[in-house]
Formats: sequence, structure tokens, C-alpha cells
Amino acid sequence: MIYLKKTPLYQHHVDLGARMVEYAGWNMPVQYAGIGDETAAVRNESGIFDVSHMGEVMVKGEDAAAFLDWLLSRPVSSMQPDQVTYAILANEAGGTVDDLLVYETGKNMYLLVVNAANKDKDVGHINDSLGRFKAKKGEVDVTVEDVSDQYGQIAWQGPKVRETAPTVLKALGFKEDDIEKILQLKRFRSLQIADPDGGIEWIVSRTGYTGEDGFEIYLPIAKTADVWQGLIDQGIAPAGLGARDVLRLEAGMPLYGHELGEDISALDAGLNRFVAKEGEFQGSKMRDTVSRKLIHIAAEGKAIPREGYRLIVDGEAVGTVSSGTFSPTLGKGIANVFVDPDFDPEGKELFLEIRNKQLPFTLVDSPFVKLG
Amino acid sequence: MSELRDDVKYAKSHEWIKIEGDVATFGLTDYAQDQMGDLVFAEVVPVGTVVEVDGTIGSVESVKMASDVYSPLSGEVIEANDSLEDAPEQINEAPYDTWFVKIRLSDPSEVESLLDKDAYAALIEEE
Repeated sequence: MIYLKKTPLYQHHVDLGARMVEYAGWNMPVQYAGIGDETAAVRNESGIFDVSHMGEVMVKGEDAAAFLDWLLSRPVSSMQPDQVTYAILANEAGGTVDDLLVYETGKNMYLLVVNAANKDKDVGHINDSLGRFKAKKGEVDVTVEDVSDQYGQIAWQGPKVRETAPTVLKALGFKEDDIEKILQLKRFRSLQIADPDGGIEWIVSRTGYTGEDGFEIYLPIAKTADVWQGLIDQGIAPAGLGARDVLRLEAGMPLYGHELGEDISALDAGLNRFVAKEGEFQGSKMRDTVSRKLIHIAAEGKAIPREGYRLIVDGEAVGTVSSGTFSPTLGKGIANVFVDPDFDPEGKELFLEIRNKQLPFTLVDSPFVKLG
Repeated sequence: MSELRDDVKYAKSHEWIKIEGDVATFGLTDYAQDQMGDLVFAEVVPVGTVVEVDGTIGSVESVKMASDVYSPLSGEVIEANDSLEDAPEQINEAPYDTWFVKIRLSDPSEVESLLDKDAYAALIEEE
């Protein structure tokens, strides 16, 4: 018997009839009504996700900003205090340890939100990196703490989030002036709200992993179930990890272990805009060698691409699918494919090898789904 | 609970098999379609395909999952339900009324290896 962690919403998922699966050591809902219906709900109306399994790591101290500037692929010291920054945690060779979001939660306090599957590895890497940073700079004031056990997290995503937010947030018990501030948030901005019962401060940010507008809410574990149930009571559809993966792929967003990895750099994955153009950081070697590039394809027929399938051009294997799925939004198969950096797919006839057949695909732009 | 029927046999790989003389008709069990989720793709091997024991007779895919469909019996495909390719959702809607292929058996004694309803119920209980 393998022990699986449960989020504060575990029983709610079971009661909603979710199919539960192991994911990164957690017992998580992969689907409720069905991946197609959940994807449609988030693209057309709105849906909620339990993302309480995500890891949170607090980095604080006088020198925290200087340390993070060196640790991450882009400087946090140039952030506005309410800005949420997507950045890459790289290793010394330039490969990717994780991708993460940085929230500045106070003076010299930064909350890193990391992938559940990588959290323990990340904490180890950050501490090792702090040792290297100290070797360069001498004694510094930085502490690293895994605070994942303190936070639940719910993502509320979809084109109808903003228009329904005043009613929904009011029903959840948010105060009028907080609702006002939440509605004024620009994209990739956040605000903090004091917990009425003295728990950790809530964080609400206009961020997400679906390509749709919406909010992510970080809140005390003890409050997570009430907020979730409140959202369900307002008629908002729950969506599972299956829909989350489809939505992120349709929206052209990377997933660690697929488009990023210890030997796949942010630049290999085409994430150049999240990597500082100049200046040294721990992983800045990634600028020296780009070993592959990502292209995006869609099926011409009914074929559904899956991870590991080979891309065939003129009878030769020239690439491998990193993520593939049936896109419920587009009604056809879509995939990201890693190819050689100097391979030019323009004008070529592209095929995926699927069950010993070669099936035709078309080169498309990312994101696959054009978003509002 | 998954629906099980008395008038068919079952395979460990979650196909139902209806035996009529030396012809076997294959489909996916209710349990299998439920595990896969809403199917968005299905294909079957063509008429004339010679199938070995545990050979592939088709494939199904949902948004996130792909699976082959197997025959635990050897023989030759004499009919194939090509309508599945245009409407894979009928497998979800009526799993026991939606067949994939019919096979003329090369060795009808292989039928004895199939599971009956109770044995299959015990199998899915364990999963």
C-alpha cells in the first residue's frame, strides 16, 4: 500500500463522483463529468481546479532578492511588488530543475510556487544553490522554507469568471472592498487578503494554466473546503487534472517532464521571453547550446498524437512528440514535437508514426487555440 | 457499478465475446469504456485479417488515453464494424450493443479460456 497525500478537498472530489488517480504522490481527481465537458466548461463558461498539491517555498531575508536574481532565469528585483513572475529554476548546466511562479508576499519575502512532483527536489536544489551563492558572496541573510503544508489552492478559470466574480465572491464571504480590488487586478498581478481568523494571508492572483482569464486563490488549508464548496454551490463546474493538461497544451503552455526537464532547457523549449537576455545567473549556460526546438502540429485526419510518437519527414524520423492529445476545443489531435534546432518544417510533408502507420499532420502556430 | 451480461464471455483485457457456433463477436465491456472515458477515436482491423491469440483487433482512444483492443481467440476477421470510426461515442453509450469485429474461430476450444460473468466481476473488483 502506497501512502498518497490528500488535499483538503479529497472527500469533496469523491462525493462529486471524480475518478481519483495518483499524481506526484497525491490522490487527485483526473476527471468528474468527463475531460471533454470540463474543457468546454472552462473554454465557454468557467471551471474550478483543486491545485492544492502545488508546492510553496518561502525564500526570505535581506539578501533574498539578490539570491533569487542569481537562482532564477529572470530577475525578481525588477518586479513590481504585486507582480507575479514566471521563471525557470535551472541547474548549473542550464537544464531545468523546475518552472515556477514568484510572488512577493512582503518586504524581502518571496513565495515560489512549484510543481508538486518537483517540490522536494527543488528545495534541495535551492539549498545547494544557496551554498554556492554563499561561496561567492560570503555570509548572506537568506532562509528557505517549505511552506506547502500551510496552503490550499484553487484555480478558477474561464471567460465568465470576471462577469460572475462579484456575485460569486460575495456569496463566498469576501468583503466588498476586497472584491473591488480583485476585479481591478491586471494580468499577472496579485493581492493579499488578511485571514479573518488570523491564519496565513490569502493570495489572489490573475493567473492560471489554461490560457483563459481567471484567478488563482492561495488560502489556509482550513478554509479551502468552504471556498471550494461555495464555488460548487454557485454552479461552477469542477475540472480535473485531465482537463487541466488538455487546456494548458491547447494554450501552448509547457509542462515539466514533457517540454522541460533536467536536460531540456527553457531555451530548448522556446521560452526565451522568460530568460534574461544578458547577465549571469546560475543557469545562464543555457544560452551557449540550444539542443532542440519545439514545433506544433495538428492532425489532418482523425489521428491522436501521444507522447513519444516519432515525426517522420521524407521517410526519416526527425522528431519526437513531447505532449499530444485530442483537443476537444478544436476537435482534432494536437501535439508539441521536439526537432533538431536547424530542422525547418516549413513546406514539408509531416507524418506521425502511429501504430505502424504514417498519418499526416499540419504545421500550426502555438497556442493551438486562439484565446481571447 | 459496471453493467455485466450473462449472455457473453469476457477477456482479462476487458473485451466481451459472444460465441455463436464458430463465430465470435467482440466488443468492449462497460467497465472498460467507463475507465477510458468519452471515446473520441476508434478503429478496427479490416476483414480478412488473421488474428493470433491476444492479437490486436482494434484501437480506442479517449482525450487522454489510448488502448488497443485484443482478441483472446485466434481466427480470421469476417466482419468489421467500420461505423465506429465515425461514431466512437456509441461504445460509451451502449457498450454491449456495439461490436468491433466478428471472427471465424480457428480453434473453438480456445473459448474455454474465457472468463464467465462471475470471474470477470471478480477481476474488475480487484482493479
